[in-house]
Amino acid sequence: MEFSDWDLVQKCQAGETSAFQELVLRYQQKIFMVVLGLLRDREDSMDVAQEVFFRAYRKIKGFKGGSSFYTWLYRIAVNMAIDSHRRQKRNPLEFRENMDRVLEEQNEVEKDPFSNAHDQELRAGLTAAINDLTAEHKAVIILRTVEGLSYKDIGEILGCSEGTVMSRLHYARKKLQGKLKAFL
Amino acid sequence: MIKRCENTRDRIGAWMDGELSGSEAEEIRVHLESCRACREERRQLEKLQASLKAVLVAGPSNVSFERFWSGVEQRISRKRAWHEDFFGWVHDLMTPPQLAWLVPAVIILVLTGVFSLESFFPGARLAVQRNNFAAVESIDGFGRNVAVLRENETRTTIIWLYQNQEGEDESIGEKSESSPSF
Repeated sequence: MEFSDWDLVQKCQAGETSAFQELVLRYQQKIFMVVLGLLRDREDSMDVAQEVFFRAYRKIKGFKGGSSFYTWLYRIAVNMAIDSHRRQKRNPLEFRENMDRVLEEQNEVEKDPFSNAHDQELRAGLTAAINDLTAEHKAVIILRTVEGLSYKDIGEILGCSEGTVMSRLHYARKKLQGKLKAFL
Repeated sequence: MIKRCENTRDRIGAWMDGELSGSEAEEIRVHLESCRACREERRQLEKLQASLKAVLVAGPSNVSFERFWSGVEQRISRKRAWHEDFFGWVHDLMTPPQLAWLVPAVIILVLTGVFSLESFFPGARLAVQRNNFAAVESIDGFGRNVAVLRENETRTTIIWLYQNQEGEDESIGEKSESSPSF
């Protein structure tokens, strides 16, 4: 029998750690993808994603079900990833090394989504352009592109209106488009 | 036409995301049929979207999550140092919705602290500028003066007429030591 998120949350609130494990299994990949989109470093992202679930575990008793569990969880993830991203930005050398590693990783043929495409440069340019976005702009791009979330859900996660989400997405895309004009 | 193109380009992303209402979406669709420049904008955005998806989604597809839960479990079972808990709590307080309450609360606390300080240390004049007023003016140029002192705390005004002793300096500090003669 498949339990809903809310059923599992209630079991967690009653002290069943196995129910929380089930929630982790459901969302670990999605949360990791969101964090990775913001941080661009696999090791850091894995660490932050685990920390996200730990934070969720500690706060789960206070979760009343006012929003869906995944928007609540994503909110924790985005906030923690943005914090971590800001700390990385304060350490540009480390950030640059991480970026280089990401580019190296993506150059491996079996992992490369552009391996059959002619525009390797576009991929490198895009990766760099994403990293030049502000954390808020990056967050909307990732939540929309990776997770395909609606503007309403993104607004709930980021604590802003749908109009703000629309505006942030518009400007983030404009910035990316401007930087990649030669490739598009 | 230019205005309509600007309007379309501002909303074309939302249109592609299926986030516009029926009438707005129809407006964009009709405009795109007749405007080559806006169709080009749409093409670029579609390519951008596809590239973003390829970089952000396909890239990390080979990551293993075998040990993910054990990492979370370790964190749950590890007893954290008190300062980690404390900083976590402070960090949670620093989120924007919490700050909305925190800012006025801090202002009230600071003001309360300053007023309390003044009552514990009567000499301290931190909270309120008293704006007491003192002035000395010569009346006739021959040593007769008028001094005005206004004290705001007790709302008292003193007007003081006196005459300088011969050879006395006219500075305020010394005048205050001279004997007034009425």
